[in-house]
Amino acid sequence: MNRQRPPGPLTVAELVHSGPLGRAHLVAAPHLDQHVTGVSLISDLAQARRCAPNTALVVHPAAAPGVWALESALRFAWERNASCVVAPSEISVTDSTKQLAERLRVPLFTVDDPAEQALELAATIADTEAVRCRLTARCAVLLGERHRPQDIVAVINNEVPGVRVVLVTPDGHTLAGRAADNRPAGDPHQVRVPVPGPDGRPWAELVAHLATPSPSWVQTVETILRVARAPLAAAIAHAQLSSAHQASKDRLLLEALLNGEATLPKGPPALHSTAGRTDVEQIAREAGWRLDGTHVAVCLRPLEGEVCALDAITPGIVAAWQEAFPQLPLVPMPRGWVTWFTGESADPALLADLIRRRLAGARIPIALATGIGQPATGLKGLRQSVAEADLAAEVAGRNGENSVELYGELGPRVVLARLPLAEIADAALVLLADLAADPRTDVLVETLSVLLDCAGSTGQAASRLGVHRNTVLGRIERIRACGVDPDAPEQRLALHIACYALRSTRPWK
Amino acid sequence: MRIDPDRLTADSVQAISAQDVPAMVAGNQLLCSAMGAAGVDGVTLCVTQLLRKHGPVPLLDLASLPPEAMCAAVGAVGGFAPLIELPPFGDEFTLAVRALEERVGRRLDAIVSLNAAGPNALFPIAAAAALGLPLVDCDGMGRILPLIHQTTYALGGLPVTPLAGASQSGDVVVLDTRSERADRLLRGVVDASGGFMICALYPATAGELRNAAITGSTSRILRAGRLLATASGRSSALAGLAHTMGARLLASGRISELCHSSPSVGTRHYPSMPTSIVVDEYGRAGRTVRLEAQNELLLALIDGAVAAAVPDILCLFDRQKLRLVGLEGVIVGDHVDVLVIPAAPMWHSSRGLAVAGPRAFGFPVCHPREGGRR
Repeated sequence: MNRQRPPGPLTVAELVHSGPLGRAHLVAAPHLDQHVTGVSLISDLAQARRCAPNTALVVHPAAAPGVWALESALRFAWERNASCVVAPSEISVTDSTKQLAERLRVPLFTVDDPAEQALELAATIADTEAVRCRLTARCAVLLGERHRPQDIVAVINNEVPGVRVVLVTPDGHTLAGRAADNRPAGDPHQVRVPVPGPDGRPWAELVAHLATPSPSWVQTVETILRVARAPLAAAIAHAQLSSAHQASKDRLLLEALLNGEATLPKGPPALHSTAGRTDVEQIAREAGWRLDGTHVAVCLRPLEGEVCALDAITPGIVAAWQEAFPQLPLVPMPRGWVTWFTGESADPALLADLIRRRLAGARIPIALATGIGQPATGLKGLRQSVAEADLAAEVAGRNGENSVELYGELGPRVVLARLPLAEIADAALVLLADLAADPRTDVLVETLSVLLDCAGSTGQAASRLGVHRNTVLGRIERIRACGVDPDAPEQRLALHIACYALRSTRPWK
Repeated sequence: MRIDPDRLTADSVQAISAQDVPAMVAGNQLLCSAMGAAGVDGVTLCVTQLLRKHGPVPLLDLASLPPEAMCAAVGAVGGFAPLIELPPFGDEFTLAVRALEERVGRRLDAIVSLNAAGPNALFPIAAAAALGLPLVDCDGMGRILPLIHQTTYALGGLPVTPLAGASQSGDVVVLDTRSERADRLLRGVVDASGGFMICALYPATAGELRNAAITGSTSRILRAGRLLATASGRSSALAGLAHTMGARLLASGRISELCHSSPSVGTRHYPSMPTSIVVDEYGRAGRTVRLEAQNELLLALIDGAVAAAVPDILCLFDRQKLRLVGLEGVIVGDHVDVLVIPAAPMWHSSRGLAVAGPRAFGFPVCHPREGGRR
């Protein structure tokens, strides 16, 4: 604490949360943000007429022969801008008195011993720092016991009087807390503290709105917000770890299912069912996975060429998917994420439309492509559909963002999807170095590719290319001059694949 | 010295007959501060019979009396309940007045009222009828106050004693003591004699009364009673009361709370039943009106601020039934007007407020007119 700065006055709310008024019965609680700078203990009702502003007006039983006298004291408190009224509990306060306190916006408390209460209030008001240190200490203890960002922010909102806190992302999205006002930067009613994520990089910001700012109160609130940063970072790290752990469990389970394994390998107990069983199907069913009926598998995959660590983005992808499809698991796999639809909803064409619509509106951090398998029944069918969806996703990944491919519409072409075209193209450039050096490489590679497609028929190749047959013959001669023999049977498959790879990956394809 | 009403000017005299009694009953409730006058049928009957037997009672202005004319106040002292249970027979008035006359050595020339409110508005009429004397149009309280020395007579320097009291059993006592001891001594006798006594007290000449009495009291409640009996609606009734009695509408609303509490510190020396009434005012402002009573309404706070206090008179007027409501008849949910009738100017003096102001009843607050305010 900065001892050079004079402490600001306490508010009634602080006296309730961290001071002696915490033990008082709160009859009416309007306007608890008022400052308290002194205490007036009145033993005669007429003394209330002279109480100083911002004082806690404590009514001794001698000054309150009836509830009417309490209402009169409330009135004087209002006229003199007192902070609150503390009355003896022997007065039976009725609804009308409570309503009067509410209407006059004067907080009203009752206590058993007003004189003792007045002494304690005076002592507390004389040492405001002690109250605020107690508040900070209690917040630190409570913050350390909370594990979710919402709970941590709630601690501050509940414990720190006259303060409203919200946790917001840099783009303004509210993660926890009550909705924030649009206050300009530098507003004295606002305290902002950046909150780093588990990796130390900026993650969010704690924004507090103060009802009654004073330099020392701002400092107290800022201290409490800073104390909250470490629990928040731990909470988000815990959430990410939990998500990653769940994804790992799901992946292990799905791989075991798809591989036809009956039991899970020995591992941490958390991977197994609560009953300690290791039966894969049983665990999957307990996890809510549907294994019976007709399935259509769906595979999501990053676009080809997209560089990303799948493990790192899996929590975000899964969270976004579950916003779109809350009931369906999304299981991470080596090259993407897999799920499946079961039952009447398992129609590939309808699913393609549904997934396009839902994913277009989801908050997904990377560009995805989608492959959809064929309907198939039972666990065996699920394995088949997952394999098909994986192949279809491979094709979709080469077609651009939000592309959706149905396996049933691809046919044997999906085999080509598995070819490592980039590596093959690199090898082809070595193999066909002379051809690649020709100024008309693109024309020659296209001609060679079409000739092979047409099983060496120059007439069909000329027709498909839209040129004269002699032109094709001329190009074949130039190809041969580059050391490539399209007629050699043992070379034909290799040449065909090399041309396919070059045309698929090179800009001059 | 017998006063001949025929020798007085025509304007200064009127008579109260048996036909006027219902109006007197209705009108005197205004000055009861909601003490209530239900159950005075016996008293009414007693007074009516005396008026029928002896004829109408002349009502004289105090100013029209010769200064040396001898007067004394007549009124019942004691509890309300025994009065309801067993009203006076009619002989008590003569017994009390004759005993007083014997003590002071003079015959009375006229009767004055102790307080022209509640049953005591009727007893002086009965006494005047029984004794064949005129009644002077004045009283010493202008309302109901609990102690016999809480009068403007006492403020004007007139002694309460010697006083004479007569019970229904024919007991007659004569007290001759200092004014401040009279009430305490008399109450012991009253309790022993059945709960109330008809007393003749404050013996004084008309000249002495001129500086001490509240004049026009009886004729005023007679006018108010006739007004209440004939008013066609709430507005006309309130307007008439404002004109006749100076009544001011403090607030209108619905009674939301009614509680009786044990006597609090500072008021225990009074025979009282503390009652607190909360009226939620109509309208958007919705102020809270709290009325504090000890047998009668003594204090009105609006949102905690003192709006009216004893000795001014607070009354509850039923907005739907167009009649005054006594404390015994108040129930939660009633829709009422809270009226304030200003007390006689003598009561607003510092001495008057010391005797009958809010502090005299244990309320440590200032009267709204105290210290030059309002």
